[in-house]
Amino acid sequence: MGRTVVELFYDVISPYSWLAFEALCRYQHIWNIDLRFRPAFLGGIMQQTGNKPPGMLPKRGEYLVKDMKRMAKYYQVPLRMIPDAFQHIMGTSSLTAMRFITAIDMTNPQYLEPLSREFWMRFWSQVARQAGLSAELSQKALEMTSSPPVKDRLKDTTTEALKYGAFGMPAVVAHYDGEPHLFFGSDRLELLGSVIGEKWLGPVPSPKL
Amino acid sequence: MGRTVVELFYDVISPYSWLAFEALCRYQHIWNIDLRFRPAFLGGIMQQTGSLTAMRFITAIDMTNPQYLEPLSREFWMRFWSQHEDISQPENILVVARQAGLSAELSQKALEMTSSPPVKDRLKDTTTEALKYGAFGMPAVVAHYDGEPHLFFGSDRLELLGSVIGEKWLGPVPSPKL
Repeated sequence: MGRTVVELFYDVISPYSWLAFEALCRYQHIWNIDLRFRPAFLGGIMQQTGNKPPGMLPKRGEYLVKDMKRMAKYYQVPLRMIPDAFQHIMGTSSLTAMRFITAIDMTNPQYLEPLSREFWMRFWSQVARQAGLSAELSQKALEMTSSPPVKDRLKDTTTEALKYGAFGMPAVVAHYDGEPHLFFGSDRLELLGSVIGEKWLGPVPSPKL
Repeated sequence: MGRTVVELFYDVISPYSWLAFEALCRYQHIWNIDLRFRPAFLGGIMQQTGSLTAMRFITAIDMTNPQYLEPLSREFWMRFWSQHEDISQPENILVVARQAGLSAELSQKALEMTSSPPVKDRLKDTTTEALKYGAFGMPAVVAHYDGEPHLFFGSDRLELLGSVIGEKWLGPVPSPKL
């Protein structure tokens, strides 16, 4: 029997998506899964479902700043929280970034993982590194971001996430036993593992030898 | 150094609180913690009523016979979230109490106490304390570690709680320590 396909729908504006991303990147070499990155647009999901960013409830917003710090440390992700982090992201749009990532996904998917990570680094960390794209490739992808195929592709991926029942991000869909299983949140990976018959070894598992 | 005090603020109307409750009940025998149950009223934190009498009854038992707190809370969850039956009517609350092993006499006494000022105040005070820690929902778990309180919201933050207090998460159904 083949590997379980696990799709990660994410947007780089979402810090919890970064946690899910890094944990799943580690588990793709440990669990018997075929991990697929599905860059999508969180703004579109919020708009279609009527959901609001969690930080909008003041007490929850305060809590999330602390939660994010602890989770980032536990997950060993260099995410840095500023006190007004959730206000900060509410004033930012990730549409161009997600279109750029989509353009790379369509043309040079081998860069998808490092590129996504680099965007998270810029949004959510003070440490920015290079994703390894050549200036030429970056320029080409940048030109593509406003093209209809790229816009449509991002829209379609977002619609697919909604079709699976996503109302926020990260949304992870595991295809197991002939059906899709939606898991919302970076804190549902242990449960995902149990559903697909794998063992959770914490957010920073030792690599399989 | 003593055990880490871990407080669980919960309301039986909250299903995720039941998950946190059962997992912590298992971990109290494995982790070096002093688990304290803090029955509170979710309706005082957000729009969620229906469990007021039940939580007052649980509070009355917490004040007089705390040894019944764990089985009684569990029976309320069983009735509401497993059997999907009413927990608001007095006669049903008495049924739950009997299920939990309380005598008819004790159950009746606690039922009478539910509308008394001390019990109402106690439930209100516990709820206020949860809010003071920053709770905006339930379950709210507060671990007192390194001289300060650490709030964890949700049944899915127990692994993280463990890492903060220096304990290892062994999944939601750990093997009992021998």
